[in-house]
Amino acid sequence: MTGAALIVALVAFGVLTGAAAGLLGVGGGTMMVPFLTLAAGMSQHAAEATSLLVVLPTAIVASLVLRRRGVGDLGVALRFGSLGAAGGVLGALLALALPGHLLRFVFAGFIALVAVRLVRDSLAAP
Amino acid sequence: MLFGLEPRFAAIGIAGGLLSGLLGVGGGIVMVPLLVLWSAYGQRDAHAISLGAIVPISAAGVATYGVAGQVRPLEAAALTVGSIAGARVGAGALARIEERPLKLVFGLFLGVVAVLMVARP
Repeated sequence: MTGAALIVALVAFGVLTGAAAGLLGVGGGTMMVPFLTLAAGMSQHAAEATSLLVVLPTAIVASLVLRRRGVGDLGVALRFGSLGAAGGVLGALLALALPGHLLRFVFAGFIALVAVRLVRDSLAAP
Repeated sequence: MLFGLEPRFAAIGIAGGLLSGLLGVGGGIVMVPLLVLWSAYGQRDAHAISLGAIVPISAAGVATYGVAGQVRPLEAAALTVGSIAGARVGAGALARIEERPLKLVFGLFLGVVAVLMVARP
C-alpha cells in the first residue's frame, strides 16, 4: 500500500489498536509491529521505533480516561512503571548476552498457562 | 520500600520491565499477568495500572532508541490520530466491563500472543 490508501488504512488500524489497547491494558505494539512490517513494508527496526512512538500517547490518553473514571491508581502506576523502565534497560542488555528464542518459548508457555487459567475462571460457575 | 511501593509490587515492576526488555515485547503482555497472579489487584485495576506503567516505560524506550532516526513520522502520526480516538473508547469500555468477560477477552488475547510468539521465526 502507498499514499492516501496507506494513510487511511493506518488511521483505521490505529482506531482498532487503540481500542484494544485501552481495554486490554497493553500498549498495542504486539498488534502494530506486524501490521507496519506487512502492510506498510517497514523494516523490523523502523516498525518497532514507530510503534513505540504511538504507544506513548495511546497509553497517556487511556490512563487519563481511567483516572477520570476512578479505575486503578495512576500515581502508583507511574512509580511502578519507572521501576519497569529501569528493568527494561537491564533486560535489553541481558538480551544481547542470552539466547532469545529459548526465553521466548519459556515465556510463551507461561502466558499460555495464564490464558488457560483466565478463560477457565471466566467460564466457571460463579 | 522502593519509590514508596510494597517490595513485592516493586519486584513485579522490575521483573515486568526486565522480561519485556529481554523478550522484545510490550510491557502490558508481561505486566497484566504478573499483576493478576501476584498482586492484590483485580483484573480491571491490573489493566489500568499496566496502562499507566506503560507511560514511563515507553517514554524511556522512545528516549533511548525510538528517536535514533528509525521512526517514520508520517505513519506514526496517522496511527496516533486513530489510536488516540480508539484508546478513549477502549478505556471507557474497561471502566464498565465486568471482571468475567474481561478475563475471558484477555485470556483469549494472551492465547493468541503465545501462539504467535512460538510461530515467529
